Amino acid sequence: MTSSPPSPRLSSLTIAADVDEISRVSAWLEELGEQEDWAQQMLFGLELSVEEALANVITHGFENTCHDPEIVLEYFRPAPEAIGIRIIDNGVAFDPTAQASPQLAENVEEARIGGHGLRFMRHYLSDFGYARVGDRNELTLIAGPKAATDGAASP
Amino acid sequence: MQIDREQAGSDVVLKVSGRLDTPNAKPFEASLMEAISSTDGGITVDLAGVDYVSSSGLRALLVAGKAMRTAKRDLALRSLQPQIREVFDISGFSTLFEIK
Repeated sequence: MTSSPPSPRLSSLTIAADVDEISRVSAWLEELGEQEDWAQQMLFGLELSVEEALANVITHGFENTCHDPEIVLEYFRPAPEAIGIRIIDNGVAFDPTAQASPQLAENVEEARIGGHGLRFMRHYLSDFGYARVGDRNELTLIAGPKAATDGAASP
Repeated sequence: MQIDREQAGSDVVLKVSGRLDTPNAKPFEASLMEAISSTDGGITVDLAGVDYVSSSGLRALLVAGKAMRTAKRDLALRSLQPQIREVFDISGFSTLFEIK
C-alpha cells in the first residue's frame, strides 16, 4: 500500500484533564456534526467512542506523572464519507487497540464494573489506530464505511 | 440530565431524561442509591427521555443493580430508545436487567 499524506486538521479543541470537560467535547462534536450534516448514527457512535477514549486518558493517563497534562482533539476527514478524530495526549504510553474486550457477564452478580468502552469503539468505529509519537499518545478514531477507511487510522 | 421520581406504594419509578454520560454518572448513581435506601420495594428506571448513554451511565446502573440484588429486590428498566437499546445489547446489559 502506498502511503498518502496525512489529512489536514479541520478543527481542534484543547481540554483540561477533567471528566467534566467531556461535556465541552460533546458540544464541539455536535456543533461540527450540525455544520457538516453528519448522519445521526455516525455522530452517536463517534461521540460515544471519543468519550470512552477520553474518560480513560483523563482517569488513568496521568497517574504518577508530575508534568502538566495536555490533551488535544483534532478533527479531520480521512475520506469524503468518513469522519476522523485524533486524540493527542502527553500521558503515560497506553495502546487501547492492543487490549482485548472483556468477556460479557451473564448476571449482575458476576458483571464487572467497567471495560465496555473498548467494545463500543470496536462496534461503532470503522477504524481505530494508535501510535506513540515522541512523548505523546495519538489515538485515531474513524467513523464511516469500513471499506472506505480501511487502514486510514494506521500510523 | 433530569430525574423525576414517582412513588407507587413501596415501588419507585425514576424517569430519567437527557444524557447518561461521564459528567452525569455520579449524580445519576446518587439518585439511584437514594431511591434504594429510601424505600423497600422495587425500582423501575424509565429511560424514555435518555438519548445518550456511555459506559459511565451503565456503571451507575450496575452499581444499583448489584445493591438491589443483594437486597433481593427488583430493578427494572423500561422505554429504551433504539440507539440506547443497541448500547445495552453491545454491552450485554440487556441480559443483566429486566427490560419492560
